Amino acid sequence: MLNPNLFPYLLGLAAFLFTVGAMGVLIRRNPIVVFMCIELMLNAGNVALVAYGRFLNSEEGQIFAFMVIVVAAAEVVVGLALITQIFRLGRELDVDDLSEMKE
Amino acid sequence: MTVLFAVVIALAAVSALGVVLSRQTIYSALSLVLTVSMLAVLFLLLNAQFLFAVQLIIYAGAVVVLFVFIVALLSPDAEDRPTLDLRAVIGIAGVIVVTALVFIAARNGITYNTNGFHATAVGSASDPYHTFKFPQDAVNNAGNVQTVAGQLFTNYLLPFEITSMLLLVAAIGAVYLTRRSSR
Repeated sequence: MLNPNLFPYLLGLAAFLFTVGAMGVLIRRNPIVVFMCIELMLNAGNVALVAYGRFLNSEEGQIFAFMVIVVAAAEVVVGLALITQIFRLGRELDVDDLSEMKE
Repeated sequence: MTVLFAVVIALAAVSALGVVLSRQTIYSALSLVLTVSMLAVLFLLLNAQFLFAVQLIIYAGAVVVLFVFIVALLSPDAEDRPTLDLRAVIGIAGVIVVTALVFIAARNGITYNTNGFHATAVGSASDPYHTFKFPQDAVNNAGNVQTVAGQLFTNYLLPFEITSMLLLVAAIGAVYLTRRSSR
């Protein structure tokens, strides 16, 4: 049986990864890095889900984490397609310059 | 076991900081590889073998490779090193405060009742129709891929099918977005 005292550390790791990812989204200006930080936040959610599922004797955490991974993959595909398209339009890769999504 | 947990958690946290703080985008991507690999090890330690494989194949194998590919294609400039202005200080304080609050809450059992270990039978709350019954400790035995698949393809079949639709929509959307425009 897993040591129950580990649970706060796992949840602390999840909170740390999520807040670091959120800070990255707010501070960084490169859209590629912003997407990486979003991946970080989704991974933090996965850690919390799997930890809860492990300590509550349930597989639902794993199943929901699987759904989150699928959604993250879909999000990355569309996001990177958008970034390449922005780059093709000759715009600078800077989220501060992309405040409007026209054309 | 506990030492392994400590090493994995520390490496995941440090490499997550590397993702945010690296000036070069490619270093961020490589830090992300380390983060997702460490989280895969963490999933293995938490008896989520299926997620361990999925994490390695999809994240380290597909998502990060896509990131590296895009970085190589677009070759973005290095950013200026973030200065320690008021915004950065507030951000660092936010990270520390939120992490500490969650840790203290979990340690004091606010988020989760420590008396609940082994108290809930697997599938009792999740399976009101008693279509799937597992032995009490099936989830905690080594290798619960079969029980996860059993749940995924019975109780959660509809969400599973909807994710396949989502992937199809994402693929079509990516092809639509990156096509050569004819206008």
